[in-house]
Amino acid sequence: MKSFVYVIKDPLGIHARPAGMLAKAAKPYADTPITVTKGDKTVKASQLMKLMSLGVKTGDEVTVAAEGPAEDEAIAAMEAFFKENL
Amino acid sequence: MKDKFFGVLQRVGRSFMLPIAILPVAGLLLGLGSSFTNETTLSTYGLLDLMGPGTVPYFIFSVLSRCGGVIFDNLPLLFAIGVAIGMARQEKEVAALAAAVSFLVMHSGISAMIGLTGGTEALLEGSTASVLGITSLQMGAFGGIIVGLGVAALHNRFYKIQLPQALSFFGGTRFVPIISTLVFAVVGIAMFFIWQPIQTGINALGGLVYSSGYLGTFLFGMIKRLLIPFGLHHVFYLPFWQTAVGGTMEVAGTMVSGAQNIFFAQLADPTVTHFSTAGTWCFTGEFVLYIFGFPGAALAMYHCASPARKKRVGGLLLSAALTSILTGITEPLEFSFLFVAPLLFAISAVFAGLAYMLCHILNITVGLTFSGGFIDLALFGILQGNEKTGWLLLLPLGAAFFAAYYFVFRFLILKFDFKTPGREEGDQETKLYTKADYNARKAESEASAGRSAAIARGLGGAANIKDVDCCATRLRITVQDSAAVDQAVLKSTGAAGVIQKGAGVQVVYGPQVNIIKAELEEYLRSGAAAAAPAPAQAEETAEATKPEHGKLLRTLVIGSPMHGEAAPVTASPDAAFAEKMMGDGATIVPCEGLVTAPCDATISFVFDTNHAIGLELEEGIEVLIHVGINTVELKGQGFKALVQEGDQVKKGDPLLEFDLDYIRENASSTSSPVLFTTMEDNQQLRLLKAGHVKPGEDLLALDIYEA
Repeated sequence: MKSFVYVIKDPLGIHARPAGMLAKAAKPYADTPITVTKGDKTVKASQLMKLMSLGVKTGDEVTVAAEGPAEDEAIAAMEAFFKENL
Repeated sequence: MKDKFFGVLQRVGRSFMLPIAILPVAGLLLGLGSSFTNETTLSTYGLLDLMGPGTVPYFIFSVLSRCGGVIFDNLPLLFAIGVAIGMARQEKEVAALAAAVSFLVMHSGISAMIGLTGGTEALLEGSTASVLGITSLQMGAFGGIIVGLGVAALHNRFYKIQLPQALSFFGGTRFVPIISTLVFAVVGIAMFFIWQPIQTGINALGGLVYSSGYLGTFLFGMIKRLLIPFGLHHVFYLPFWQTAVGGTMEVAGTMVSGAQNIFFAQLADPTVTHFSTAGTWCFTGEFVLYIFGFPGAALAMYHCASPARKKRVGGLLLSAALTSILTGITEPLEFSFLFVAPLLFAISAVFAGLAYMLCHILNITVGLTFSGGFIDLALFGILQGNEKTGWLLLLPLGAAFFAAYYFVFRFLILKFDFKTPGREEGDQETKLYTKADYNARKAESEASAGRSAAIARGLGGAANIKDVDCCATRLRITVQDSAAVDQAVLKSTGAAGVIQKGAGVQVVYGPQVNIIKAELEEYLRSGAAAAAPAPAQAEETAEATKPEHGKLLRTLVIGSPMHGEAAPVTASPDAAFAEKMMGDGATIVPCEGLVTAPCDATISFVFDTNHAIGLELEEGIEVLIHVGINTVELKGQGFKALVQEGDQVKKGDPLLEFDLDYIRENASSTSSPVLFTTMEDNQQLRLLKAGHVKPGEDLLALDIYEA
């Protein structure tokens, strides 16, 4: 398993648009589940609604993790995505 | 401005087609019924004992005659309702009810005024009539058209009106019959004063046209033909058919106005020995043109076609000529030369004027209900007998016109090298017809979705189509953006011609246009249109929407969570939504600030700025309702959530209130996506309703297939 911790910088947090983009970015790694954790809640990154239901706001700390055959590639893609968009 | 005017006239013209479509049947009943109850006819053929008064056939034909006659007697009411239906943009059934109410109200208003000012004796003779038992002014079809247009205008203005809370029961569509009643009570009073001088004027004008005699008949025939390319002929000829402009005559003791009315009054009157030209001057020439003249033109075009293409072009011209001969629908034939050789069309118009005039001069009196094809000739010429109509004279006259059309067309086509069908340079045009033929055949054998998709694409995509209607031969469409229309694509769908004036587009298909229209509407309603909105992507998407699916397991339907205007989500002003990045569904521009549950569900989350709500319908199927675009930036202001995460809701439960005005002013759009965010490969979405939707009205259907 690979993971990283990220502090959200986007002033609006993870709302509909970034959630949609994140879910899309996670889609290619179907056999490598990617999760996003905030506090005690963990959701799959590919599930748009679950992502939104986390209610991630600016300044929140989230943990992104990937486990599976493509975990190195997946976590690198996620890190790049978070840095660029959130 | 000119384009807008054309658009309105186009709608008026096509709205006449619904009531006019009844006339052939009404004419059939009246024609058969009156022919076989006419004692003169019966005694001529020695049928009095068999079918005379007192016999069963006489009884049956009398009933037929009366049942057909009542339709002609009440045409103004049918026009009022038909025009209202044709002109109303949405909720047409309400406009129809309002038109019927308004028609009764207006004539009752006039009736009351007549009673108050000294009764019918104080008015001009022939200026009053019994309208559905109401003693009123004789307004004929005009009365109905005024009501139809007025009600449609009121309807389009008010059918979405919102009244204060206490009166809200009377809001929306219910307000339309109410306001129409009030307005037309006033119109009735006004008409009492306005209509009388107009009656005098119309009678004088009718007298003028009628008294210019044969010249008037010539002008009528020519002008009517020249108006056909613009689709405006219905507006022009109707007053002559239906009102005093076309002449007035006393038949069987009552005054009758309008040529068609005169003819049918005479048809129903057993004492008539020869029909008057007053009832037929603007009809009989059509038989000469449609049964004889135009086929002559078709033959000329066939003979002028290049030998290699004769076979191909022959099929086209033969079917067009047969359509003209049998049903009197001429556009397929006329449009085959109108655009490539306007001079031929101009000459045809002069011939048309001559045909009407010669029939008038020769006292040939065959009336018609719909158009001058063989069906009408049989009913109102041949069946009525040569004594009453002189129809046999049509044969030599027709032969002369056939020859005139044939030789003049042939000479001019060769002399000026007009590119009539089969004479085009290169292969392009022939290809077009081949493709059209191919498409037409394919459409008959297979599902027609391909043609509808092509038509929608030619019109700039489903989102560009404002409304769709048709008349006898053409599809009439109003589009949002006229620049997006691609005439070449439209022609490849089997059209004989395409006419475009601003936002009004007419595509000429011929008599099967009814089916094409129904298919197109079906297509636009279905999700297929929503999936193929952009012309450029259409082909690609068409393939994408046809994946290999297993058996359809079940369908989930959700209602609209808002009151407003719905469109496919691809119409969202936000690219991320329009590209279906968040899911597939609809977007609604709300007219009320309330979100209700579209189905029974569990609230899976309420975003903390309250601008978006997630619903879980069942395990793994979720719907997102996102109010407005970029509304996350409002930080919750203007929104009030009425539920919280984990709540169970029933369809119709209020979920969220929002301040529509505030959002309009502070967000980039109020357009609100409603999406299935959990679409799997074995699921497909259909948009069930585009345009005005009420809360709870079926909006989206999710088809779930065997994986």
